[in-house]
Amino acid sequence: MAEQPIWLTFIVAFIIMNVLLVGMAYMTYFERKVMAAMQDRMGPTRTGPKGLLQPIADGIKLLGKEDLIPAAADKVVFFFAPLIVFVTALVSVAVIPFGGTVQIFGRDVNLFVTDLNVGALFILAIGSAGVYGIILGAWASANRYSLLGGLRSAAQVVSYEIILGLSLVGIFLITGSLSLRDILLAQQQPLEFGPLSLSNWYILSQPLAFVLFLIAAVAETNRAPFDLPEAETELVSGFHTEYSAFRFSFYFLGEYINMIVVSLFASTLFLGGTSGPGSEAYWGLGLLWLLLKTVIFLFFYVWLRTTLPRFRFDQLMGIAWKVLLPLALLNIVITAFIRLVSNGQVF
Amino acid sequence: MPWDVIFFYLIGGVSVLTALGVVVANNPVHAGIFLVICFLNVAGIFVMLGAEFLAVTQVIVYTGAILVLVLFVLMLVDPDDLPEFHTARPVQRYVGFLLGAVLLLEVGAAILTWTRFAPEGTATPENIAFVGGNTQALGRLLYTDYLLAFEVISLVLIVGIIGAIVLALPERLGERTGTRRDTISLGHARGTDTAALPVGPRGETPITVDRDRAQPTPAMTRGLIMAKDADEYTTV
Amino acid sequence: MGELGIEHFLFLSAALFIIGMMGVLTRRNVLIIFMCVELMVTAVNISLVAFGVATDTMNGQAFVIFTVSVAAAEAAVGLGIILALNRRGKSLDVDDIRALRD
Repeated sequence: MAEQPIWLTFIVAFIIMNVLLVGMAYMTYFERKVMAAMQDRMGPTRTGPKGLLQPIADGIKLLGKEDLIPAAADKVVFFFAPLIVFVTALVSVAVIPFGGTVQIFGRDVNLFVTDLNVGALFILAIGSAGVYGIILGAWASANRYSLLGGLRSAAQVVSYEIILGLSLVGIFLITGSLSLRDILLAQQQPLEFGPLSLSNWYILSQPLAFVLFLIAAVAETNRAPFDLPEAETELVSGFHTEYSAFRFSFYFLGEYINMIVVSLFASTLFLGGTSGPGSEAYWGLGLLWLLLKTVIFLFFYVWLRTTLPRFRFDQLMGIAWKVLLPLALLNIVITAFIRLVSNGQVF
Repeated sequence: MPWDVIFFYLIGGVSVLTALGVVVANNPVHAGIFLVICFLNVAGIFVMLGAEFLAVTQVIVYTGAILVLVLFVLMLVDPDDLPEFHTARPVQRYVGFLLGAVLLLEVGAAILTWTRFAPEGTATPENIAFVGGNTQALGRLLYTDYLLAFEVISLVLIVGIIGAIVLALPERLGERTGTRRDTISLGHARGTDTAALPVGPRGETPITVDRDRAQPTPAMTRGLIMAKDADEYTTV
Repeated sequence: MGELGIEHFLFLSAALFIIGMMGVLTRRNVLIIFMCVELMVTAVNISLVAFGVATDTMNGQAFVIFTVSVAAAEAAVGLGIILALNRRGKSLDVDDIRALRD
């Protein structure tokens, strides 16, 4: 990791943030098109060629709407709650590596904002702080349905965060580091099976952790089939019932950016991030590989939403505490045991 | 002024102000929000002290779990059960602030006259960087010198979890809590004839009494008989 | 640490601790008292880490791991007690909770 002037880091961060916002806009388009195809519909077609301008039209529509504040609402908290969701979603992308140090215009540029010693935990921590946006917004709305959605969300996120964290412990044990760059580098070592040689992606050595992580990540981002905090059919949209116009769009942006960040995180942890054929020679190719892997995860999100019905709340909690938690602990024990055996410390 | 001093006063100032907010806020949820901001700033202080792992732990454990649960409970309980700040007895309040001021003077004097008597340790920044960083250094210490304490603390956590589950259970297993009787679904059934009603899933007769207060209509009775959910009945 | 001495951090810790203590002494809402206790624990954590840095040892940080774990267990049990009290229809005023004294 090369030292670079701070203004260069700001430029990189600025570019990443804007790419993320544009990516979020087209994520909504992607979702609508994929859902339409799965339900034998057309999806958006009117705005621009093949409806490609639909996200922009949606954005203008949302900003032009009337901004309503309930009379009984706690004004200050009501104002800040959507911002918490949005900001925490954006901040967590700072530790995700988009590549190593590359030469651009004769300068060494780091393709990541920062390489924290505790990067993976940082994402978990920021994600757990994001739940305040939901419960405070729900409380400040002074609406029973919203409050129920917020309380559900609090219980759900606190439970699934444990699964999310524990599923990563196996990876930390193998890598010996919490830094996402170290995890990425460890996955670029080849794994030899006699004549066969595979990339050491952690999806191969940690398949159970991968499944647990996927389930917990869907719950953590409040997406179907774990979208109980919103649950249109029973809670009239839950925590954001009272929100409209640009305040609502902050919740909306936050949710989709969270999905993208979790997908980036999962690709980095389990699918080798930017690694892939040719990525060592050309860093642009590495970015393409990362994009491809992220899109696979995002497709998975949409696929789940169109396929599975919503869980009941007791089922949701039962899955977390009675199924996923023991499995996550089992994974840690097995990984630690294999680590000991391969180090020659037992037998 | 160097940047770290500016940051210290910024972060420390915000944390002290929000801590005061916790004490003086009238609305308990506002107090909770102040405490969240305070703890996030304390995490910043930990980063300034070079303890990144603890900073992240602080955010995950305190703001991510404990304070979410506190806010959860605050929103669950009836606001009428919460006492007002202003009803505190004046003697209690003044004595409290007076004791605080005395303690502040005492601790301040202790800090200003502090002299080092502990020997220098080996965890210099160079040594920490050598083992791979703050997390690695802390892990090495926890799993060597403090191994027994670490095991004991995990036992404490398990006992804590079991205690919380026992406390959160209803008084007798299988029994619904008291307010259940007043729910809307049972309100429909008030005053109906118990003999005409089906027996509950565990063989108990449904109790839906208080004949004096209610005027049963056929629609109400039908509503209850059609209900298939076991929760529609309460035990005697 | 530049011009920042350990005294800066110790004063911050003392200030947070004393604010938390005042809260415990003057407020009567059980939940606020609970939050103030957490604030006091955190203040002690700051001084533990600061002492560790001043003496070049990691022991302070190891202690903080333990205090955080105890605080988590305390939160689980404490909130369980508060919920159980509230379910029995009791007020959450500390002056009204005296079943064990009377």
